[in-house]
Amino acid sequence: MTSISEQLSDALGIMIMGMGLVFIFLSILIVGIGIVAKLFPAPVVTPIPVPIAPSASAQVTLDPKLVSAITSAIHQYRAK
Amino acid sequence: MEGLMAFWAETGVANFSGGQLLMMAVGCLLLFLAIAKGFEPLLLLPIGFGAILANIPNAGFTDEGGLLYFAYHVGIETGVFPLLIFMGVGALTDFGALIANPKTLLLGAAAQFGIFATLLGAIALNAVPGFSFTMQDAAAIAIIGGADGPTAIFLASKLAPELLGAIAVAAYSYMALVPLIQPPIMRLLTTKAERAIKMEQLREVSKKEKIIFPLMVLGMTILFLPAATPLVGMFCLGNLMRESGVVDRLSKTAQNELINIVTIFLGLAVGSKLSADQFLRIETLGILILGAVAFSIGTATGVLMAKLMCKLSGGKVNPLIGAAGVSAVPMAARVVNKVGLESNDQNFLLMHAMGPNVAGVLGSAVAAGVLLAVLG
Repeated sequence: MTSISEQLSDALGIMIMGMGLVFIFLSILIVGIGIVAKLFPAPVVTPIPVPIAPSASAQVTLDPKLVSAITSAIHQYRAK
Repeated sequence: MEGLMAFWAETGVANFSGGQLLMMAVGCLLLFLAIAKGFEPLLLLPIGFGAILANIPNAGFTDEGGLLYFAYHVGIETGVFPLLIFMGVGALTDFGALIANPKTLLLGAAAQFGIFATLLGAIALNAVPGFSFTMQDAAAIAIIGGADGPTAIFLASKLAPELLGAIAVAAYSYMALVPLIQPPIMRLLTTKAERAIKMEQLREVSKKEKIIFPLMVLGMTILFLPAATPLVGMFCLGNLMRESGVVDRLSKTAQNELINIVTIFLGLAVGSKLSADQFLRIETLGILILGAVAFSIGTATGVLMAKLMCKLSGGKVNPLIGAAGVSAVPMAARVVNKVGLESNDQNFLLMHAMGPNVAGVLGSAVAAGVLLAVLG
């Protein structure tokens, strides 16, 4: 039976190593996502730009607030 | 008369023990929470009912050959049920918000500190007489801080099967309590001005990025953390089925029918572990307390990390989204959105919080892999 202080130092070791590994793993993933994003940029064909002008013609220009409201509503609905 | 005596000896009334009655009461409490309070009903209802079934004297549900025995033996001892659930969760998860803002992965990583801090806490609890957690037990308890039910069950079934019932109940009850546990911590660690910060609209993410993402995650897991491949692999399979767009039928099955069927049996099997002799112990109390601590620390470190990112980015990151780093998808993200709206009723943080939220799922799977690799 190992003493508690010995166990604690073991646990501390696992904590430091574990957090380190989680951070390293996810950091590499960040780099990977960045590279993939460079290689396969989103198609710019969609006529979304024109963000500054408010919806003058009341057509395709979407208010970002409206978009975020709709996306949040969709999310809440889907999450039900 | 002899027949009547034999019948009486077989009735529930004659055979009840106090512990069984108490555990049935626990089962009823879970049913009440599920039905009347709406706390994670999809799981607490079957778990609660399973707890009642498992404590019926002379019914033999949990003895070898009984239904619950087989449900546990086939699904949980082997780790199959949580993995199937993970595939369904993968098929339900949209990584768009994460791919658009990959830095939120750091929030998902920071929130895993709750897991490892609790590992320390569980071992420290051994100093209290009555507790004797091994390192494996401590790891299985700590993973509650990951706020991810399937991951917790998977790890507990591998490392500490005898604690599984208490760990699963703690994990799911705290996930249900996210809206109560998190907001006070979030308010404590942030200022009103910080909570009102608006974040930029997320960029568009191409379909190719979304298809490559699960493959990339799988590739990295294969290279660096094979112990996590059961969890991450099934998760990525589900996600690839969703994003590839060519197997809609499979994706829909994984998201709906399959995950529902598995949930029923998973709940029952976990409930069957709530038998009096396994649950009514001092360790259970310790697990419940440690679970709450794990969860709170994870929330706090997530928020603190987000504060750091806020400072470094010149105030572009709302620190609240860090709280979503403890998985609990999508509840944690919704809580972030709600607390954000309290400070600024035009500020919709939901999409921004989904990034760290799904990052938390990956983070806790990675943390589980690390614990499995070291202690398994």
